[in-house]
Amino acid sequence: MRVIAGGVGYPDLCDYSIGIEVQERLSARDAPANVVVEDLSYNPIAIIQRLEDEPVGDRFGRMVVISAVKRGDRPAGTVSCYRWDGVMPAEEEIQRMVTDAVTGIIAVENTLVIGRYFRGLPDEVVVVEVEPETHEFGAAFSREVAEAFDGICELVWRFATDDDSVAELPMGSLVLTAVPVFRFG
Amino acid sequence: MCFKNLPVEFDASGKPFLRNGVGDPYATATATPPEGPRQLTSDKIEELLKRNGHIKNMDFDPVTRGAGALAFHTVADFENRKIIEARSVATLFRGYEVIMVGRDPRDAIYITSRACGVCGGVHSTCSALAIEMAIGCCPPPLGVLIRNLALALEFLYDHPLHLHLLAGPDYSQVIVEPTNPSLYARATTTEAHHTAIHGYRTISDLMIDLNPLTGKLYLEALHMTRVTREAYVLICGKYPHPQTIVPGGMSSTINLTVMNEMFVRLSQFFDYSKKIALIWDDITTFFYESNPEYKKVGARRANMIDTGIFDHPEAYDTTYENCNEWGNRRWATPGAVVDGKLVTTDLKTINIGIEEFVEHSYYEDWTGEGQQQHFPTDPSGNPLSPYHPWNKVTRPRPQGQNWKEKYTWDTTPRWDRQAMEGGAYARLWNTAVAQKLPDSPFLESTGHSLKMRMPAGALPETELEWHVPDVWNAFERNRARAYCMAFTTLVAFEQWRSAMDRLKDGDFKTSTKFEIPKRGTQQGVGFWGAGRGYLTHHLTLDRGAVANYQIVTPSTWNASPTDRWGQPGPYEEAVLNTPLLEETSDPAKFRGLDVLRAIRSFDPCMPCTTHIQSEGGLITREVNTCACGLDD
Repeated sequence: MRVIAGGVGYPDLCDYSIGIEVQERLSARDAPANVVVEDLSYNPIAIIQRLEDEPVGDRFGRMVVISAVKRGDRPAGTVSCYRWDGVMPAEEEIQRMVTDAVTGIIAVENTLVIGRYFRGLPDEVVVVEVEPETHEFGAAFSREVAEAFDGICELVWRFATDDDSVAELPMGSLVLTAVPVFRFG
Repeated sequence: MCFKNLPVEFDASGKPFLRNGVGDPYATATATPPEGPRQLTSDKIEELLKRNGHIKNMDFDPVTRGAGALAFHTVADFENRKIIEARSVATLFRGYEVIMVGRDPRDAIYITSRACGVCGGVHSTCSALAIEMAIGCCPPPLGVLIRNLALALEFLYDHPLHLHLLAGPDYSQVIVEPTNPSLYARATTTEAHHTAIHGYRTISDLMIDLNPLTGKLYLEALHMTRVTREAYVLICGKYPHPQTIVPGGMSSTINLTVMNEMFVRLSQFFDYSKKIALIWDDITTFFYESNPEYKKVGARRANMIDTGIFDHPEAYDTTYENCNEWGNRRWATPGAVVDGKLVTTDLKTINIGIEEFVEHSYYEDWTGEGQQQHFPTDPSGNPLSPYHPWNKVTRPRPQGQNWKEKYTWDTTPRWDRQAMEGGAYARLWNTAVAQKLPDSPFLESTGHSLKMRMPAGALPETELEWHVPDVWNAFERNRARAYCMAFTTLVAFEQWRSAMDRLKDGDFKTSTKFEIPKRGTQQGVGFWGAGRGYLTHHLTLDRGAVANYQIVTPSTWNASPTDRWGQPGPYEEAVLNTPLLEETSDPAKFRGLDVLRAIRSFDPCMPCTTHIQSEGGLITREVNTCACGLDD
């Protein structure tokens, strides 16, 4: 099975850049012939179009994505791994996500929901989530995420290269980002 | 006389000067805009709400199918089917001006690009232009042509998105049929005028393909974004944040292979542009003929501003001193339109008429007692307001929302103290009326229209003609945007042809070396445009670093709040003039469709930021988004 692994996020946003940093680390490794590690931090519509460029009979069977996801109910640096259950939001929400996607929002839930809606995703999707702490401009991770970094790289690598370890993963659901809010602390 | 409100006059040689005898020329009481639309006071609105059951609040938060975070507050009179209060609320701060201070100016090209997730290249380019002016570095002709071409491609990404992903669904079957069933029934029996070009027999056929997610026009627009992205990255490396835009030109390697690859993509827009222009002609005609009240949706005075775009390589010399000359030789002519009349095409006049106010915005004023105005004049000695971007200081001040006081993160740009709108349509309007287009076999400015001769593709060669409209409203904004796709395609084609000629002559030079001066103070301004219209970056350098940086985007103008004189911002004014035409008398069933049509016709593009720490606390959002809307 061909596998594509990559990170989703923005550069220079501290913990929120974990996906990009992991992808860059893994890109330096010699991957097996069936594994591609590449940047997935761009417009989800363009990602679908890129995936559709693969030969029809030899498309990716699995995608492994690593991203910071704020759930708020677990300690910073917590890593959660699951096979995405593919549960989709309402069409109105998908439409909002497409709007966000084409106007610049890069978020793992948009990438996966839009990819699935337009039938561009591999059948199997593994999500590696990291609970972020620091949310500001900068290159440095929080202590918690920095300590977890090497282990996260190994996890992503394993899910990209070892089918058995993926089979052991539970199914899980995405966090769908709420509509914009503004608040004053 | 160009300025009607600011105390600025022109001498016999056309040089502006402050009118004699005016003590404090830019005091807000000195130059007051003329009678025009005004918001009712908040007290009056509260009184009406209390006394009338048919008057109700109708809020849109967020306004969907727009880029970024926009909320809109209205008070609707459902008995008379009209809006009596409209407040445009930018709910996020982005603070790029604050981020830029103290940095190497070259950083601006990469940092301000992040202001927008659609049109990063226009911010990069505008930065490069501002730096070029500040340091005196002129790109070679091929660099100018390739830059024009790159940005035209970026617009060709943007126009289909607006037309068929953001605004288009408001005219689709899934939206029109439930809100206006009789109108939809009429659409099923109304034949489209331009079937031979776009292939739709009836208006309802067309509406079905405008449906979001499933409609062919929606999906085709998504596909066309790929075509332009592919062409764009050939010269810019990445989309939406280009890597090859530099002061003094472009750092890309351009050769015949690149140009041929680009043409394969660009030529797909020859037919697509014909189809889209005539689709929006048919939509507009259908709505007007079905109910002339639709002409009032999004209507406002035709007050527009644009700095022009697409430089002529033989005219552009980067200098402020000569900006009137090179501006007037652009492929899209600069201009200020007031009440439908083009009053100037000179960039200096446009520039000195700009002011930004913050009465209803979450910022502190930077003028007043004890505050020094940095630049009383522009580099040519023409008078500048203390509220001009070169004099502005960004001082964010988060606080509670209050319609009487402050309610938005957008500022209030005004030109000659009037509420202007920016848009691709301003680009068309100025160019059509001014008759200053460079010679072209494809484009002709008639003084009242713009003729566009689209080359043959699968469809035959077709002449499109955009006419300056008699009314200015949501439909005309969308129609003009559609024609702007054809205009942009032809401008891109002209750049491509000129670049090919230069390559054939052995000219491969795309950039000029430059150095950032480490001493003294320099000023620059980038006069450019986004797909959505007007864009300026005003820059001040001090000893090699950015001392001040101010961005004004189309949505800064369009989303601006009511000003200190009570004049509503463009969204607000357009919504105040919008009738409620949905076929229901039950307020609970209103979807606010026509209000949304009015707002979306401007193509809102609001601020993106992740977080800014200020004295008032943390302002945050979980994800980044496009921010061409607001600059601060």
